[in-house]
Amino acid sequence: MMDLAPFWDVIVLIALVLCLAPWFGAYLGKIYLNRPTTGDTILIPIESAIYRLLGTSPQKSMRAREYLFAVLWVNGGVLVFLFLFFLFQNGLPLDATGAPGMRWDLAFHSAASFTTNTDFTHFTNESQLSLGALVFAWPLALFASAATGLAVVAAMIRGLVRKDGTLGNFYVDLVRSVTRLLLPLSFVFALILVALGVPETLRNVVIAHPLTGGTQTIELGPVASFTSISLFGTNGGGFYSANAASPLANPSAVSDLFETFVMMLIPFSTPFAFGQIVRKRGEAWPFLGTILIVFLIAFGVFVAAQAVANPALAGLSGVGASTNGYPVGQETRFGLADGSLFQVVSVYSNVGANNMQIGALSPVGQLVLMFGMFTQSTPGGEGTGFGTLLLFAILGIFVGGLMVGRTPEYLGKKIGTGQVKWAALALLAHPAAVLIPTVVAVAGGFVTVSSGTLPASAHTFTSVLYEFTSESANNGSALAAANFNDTTPFFNIAGGIVMLVGRYVPILAMLAVAGMFSEQGFLPPGPGTLKTASATFTIYITLFLIVVTTLLFLPVIALGPLSQIVGGV
Amino acid sequence: MSAADAGSPNRAPPPPAHTPLGHLRATAALIAVLLLGTGVVYPLVVTGLAELVDPSAANGSLLYYPNGTVAGSGLVAQNTDAPYLFWERPSLTDYVTTLGIGTDPGPTDPALLALLNETIAYLRLDGNLSANTTLPLWWIAPSASSTDPDLVVPAVTVQIPRIAAAVNNSTVQGNCQRAFGTNVLVTCLLDLVNAHITNPPIPDLGVPYVDVLPLDLDLLPIIAR
Repeated sequence: MMDLAPFWDVIVLIALVLCLAPWFGAYLGKIYLNRPTTGDTILIPIESAIYRLLGTSPQKSMRAREYLFAVLWVNGGVLVFLFLFFLFQNGLPLDATGAPGMRWDLAFHSAASFTTNTDFTHFTNESQLSLGALVFAWPLALFASAATGLAVVAAMIRGLVRKDGTLGNFYVDLVRSVTRLLLPLSFVFALILVALGVPETLRNVVIAHPLTGGTQTIELGPVASFTSISLFGTNGGGFYSANAASPLANPSAVSDLFETFVMMLIPFSTPFAFGQIVRKRGEAWPFLGTILIVFLIAFGVFVAAQAVANPALAGLSGVGASTNGYPVGQETRFGLADGSLFQVVSVYSNVGANNMQIGALSPVGQLVLMFGMFTQSTPGGEGTGFGTLLLFAILGIFVGGLMVGRTPEYLGKKIGTGQVKWAALALLAHPAAVLIPTVVAVAGGFVTVSSGTLPASAHTFTSVLYEFTSESANNGSALAAANFNDTTPFFNIAGGIVMLVGRYVPILAMLAVAGMFSEQGFLPPGPGTLKTASATFTIYITLFLIVVTTLLFLPVIALGPLSQIVGGV
Repeated sequence: MSAADAGSPNRAPPPPAHTPLGHLRATAALIAVLLLGTGVVYPLVVTGLAELVDPSAANGSLLYYPNGTVAGSGLVAQNTDAPYLFWERPSLTDYVTTLGIGTDPGPTDPALLALLNETIAYLRLDGNLSANTTLPLWWIAPSASSTDPDLVVPAVTVQIPRIAAAVNNSTVQGNCQRAFGTNVLVTCLLDLVNAHITNPPIPDLGVPYVDVLPLDLDLLPIIAR
């Protein structure tokens, strides 16, 4: 049934990313090894000035506890700043749109959402966000949250190659992430987006006079620069509430492919940065292999599910056939293959942007996207996705070691009970942060649909499950709000807490594990040492990840998406 | 190589850890620097250069009437449901951008079939299409953005007979004037549509489509509106 011809452009794109990944990953590695790179002559004086302003220096290397404090200080600062800005946005500069200040629970949800790299929105950008909040306050979090994720994983990887107990300087890592990666490349990508048709202007609104009379408000602004960092930083927030489905943010199939490339670049290169920092390039391949196996299977299943006509529409008469079985909630200008690639990349990289309405996808497609948020690591969000994969690997090596009676060790570091406890905690925090609030919301009667009652529909259950999964994974994609009302205080507060838990518990675990590794010396490799740069290890970790993830989430999958697929309700 | 490769024998004792006050200072300074750099300088510089890269795109791909008034954007659908114009894809928000997006019913939701049947009935009755005209699924399906400006080609050409019937022949301009007994106007409209087809820039990257608003604006002089 499936003809590969329409897929060659996405195959070329994936191949391009994979060709660039070793080189780009090596560049990422240099950033976090503080090695000389191009642009040093301009950047070093700027960075030194910023370090002086911050009262820190690259010579200060932090132990795990101090690194964690620095993460929490900066992220807490961003959270408080955004919360206050949203609360009082109607009195702050650039409030021309007349959006009122947010209610405190909505301000909390939004601030938590942007600080944690989630960018799940419970508001309509066009009417509930002031221009200042959109173009001035939110971008702060777009950069800071992406840089935080990268810094944390850099510290985590350093733990594997150091023995002095330090992990680097968080402030330096964050600044270098911005000056050498996020800002310059977002700048280039933004200009390419303009060339592809995305607006970038100081005008915030144009009143048009449509052909059939009346007026139409066309919202404009720095769309290209916003979209660029939002995708590159795996944030996923949209300038428009239609996100990347908005023709202004994503005007053609070419821009769609380009935006997909922007989202893939860092997450698919991070394994090579890891290889560079641990000075064993070969160790990158098992992780890239795991990511690719899960990602490519997911994409294949997603496209196959979308290509089959929706059986629920069999009753329509006088309607032509379509190559896309689910054109409802899709945009005309995207093809099936490139449109689907954007959506799967976006959710699997925890960007969470959407170029289609996820709630209108085939039930199998929705399940595929959810699985990506369950694993959070194939490839997952900026930095933290790879960190999660490392935690899976640590747990997998430990379990594997128990099975064959080997001393569990990785890259010459012994995996002790402490590391395993922290890794298990991080991997269990995710299902806990998803399942507990889902049960409370459904059983506690907090789910209201427009008619005011909870219909016993699997789709509504799926929507609630998707909401908390997206928030805990710091993804930000949504099944769409009208299936139930998620703008109530309950969903704002619970959602905000879930996002904070889903972000900072794994970060705590990553730094704790790294701290323990960094205190240890190196074991010389012996005959019993597991060869981790091998195909066997790749397959083992892939299966371990799939089995663990599936077991954790199977009961709720059965209640929601599976019963939709089987029962069609 | 500094912090990364710490451990050289002659290195100075490590500087002291940050105090809480030190963290507070660093946080405040960092937020200030980032706000200035990423919230002000970055968008301003991109905006300045965007005017050089593509001024039309940078300003929202706006389309104008001959008198200079803004008609709309080539990237935003608007209500064109007049008998003499090409219509857009249906919009759950009635093309009101300030409402954000409308939410499409889920794939297994009974409301989905009802919504599509409602659209079909509307297109057949108000759109003057007979029951045996095949409607492209893409035309009756609501989009993701609620303002998808593009329409698949069959959905555009199927509207030509309606427009030809709605236009008063005496006002049709130039060589599109309907000759007695032949249908030059239909051919002319077909030519106009063909001139507006956007083909996939790379083969297989999507299907050919028409951006409806520029098409309608080019239609206006032909039908003397």
